[in-house]
Amino acid sequence: MANPNTKFLVVDDFSTMRRIVRNLLKELGYSNVEEAEDGAIALGMLKAGNFDFVVSDWNMPNMDGLTMLQKIRSDPAIAHLPVLMVTAEAKKENIIAAAQAGANGYVVKPFTAVTLDEKLNKIFEKLEKVGA
Amino acid sequence: MSMLEEEISTTLYFDRTFDCNAAKISPGEYYFTKQDMLIVTVLGSCVSACIRDSISGIGGMNHFMLPDGGNADKDSPVSESMRYGTYAMEVLINQLLKNGAKRENLEAKIFGGGNVLRSFTTTNVGDRNADFVRRFLKEERIRVTGEDLNDIYPRKVYFFPKTGKVLVKKLKQLNNYTLVKREEAYASKLKTNDVAGDVELF
Repeated sequence: MANPNTKFLVVDDFSTMRRIVRNLLKELGYSNVEEAEDGAIALGMLKAGNFDFVVSDWNMPNMDGLTMLQKIRSDPAIAHLPVLMVTAEAKKENIIAAAQAGANGYVVKPFTAVTLDEKLNKIFEKLEKVGA
Repeated sequence: MSMLEEEISTTLYFDRTFDCNAAKISPGEYYFTKQDMLIVTVLGSCVSACIRDSISGIGGMNHFMLPDGGNADKDSPVSESMRYGTYAMEVLINQLLKNGAKRENLEAKIFGGGNVLRSFTTTNVGDRNADFVRRFLKEERIRVTGEDLNDIYPRKVYFFPKTGKVLVKKLKQLNNYTLVKREEAYASKLKTNDVAGDVELF
């Protein structure tokens, strides 16, 4: 597990799903978690706060997860942030689009705690390698 | 892939009783439409949410049950079964929103959760499903404009998304066990398949 103080932003328009992800992160030892209900709100929070990690849904009103990801990658101040997409969009096109936009990982709902943990650890490992 | 995906129903037919096009959905399926048509399903212990945009009339219906995780924390908000239920609701609502529905216009009618599978070991599967769908809609602040849940009877549900009208027929006499068998098959599919999506690596 990476630093337990890692600050997460969970972005999803369903409060039920935000709570599920938040609770799973807590189970995995990460309790520094904030929530946003769409991409636009999330983007504002990311620009303002020191977040370390974004876990985002795809389908959301106002600004969807893919657009948010593209905006994150095009803003030098936050472009480095790891973004894990957790979404019900299981089509190959979606996964390819997310990869091309610079997602660090992709999890298809419904998912297990183990899946989320594995995915997070893979991302942390890769980031450490790049940082080293 | 072992993923258990909610699928769009492909069972379309012309309903002679109501003189309109209709879609029939089975356990694990959903259907949504902008057309003036009918969506039909038969529920035992499963639940269906009939959700529509009260302004535009686009609407749809799902049909699911919570998998029986069997573990002690199965009613915890992060349990596998809660995640699956949330997913089943989200898939339908996402389709409606993607096709122009507005979240603030959404209204729901909920049905099913009858205690019909007496052979189940778990304490009342139907009640658990009914509780879940009520709680989910409350938490997501989606208005519930009608419900017929719990009890012991299977139900046939006719949903007209355009108008929001729903007709429910309680099946007090089951002539055969097709329904019970179908739900049991669905339940065991949920049990044997790990209820989780595939992870794509890149």
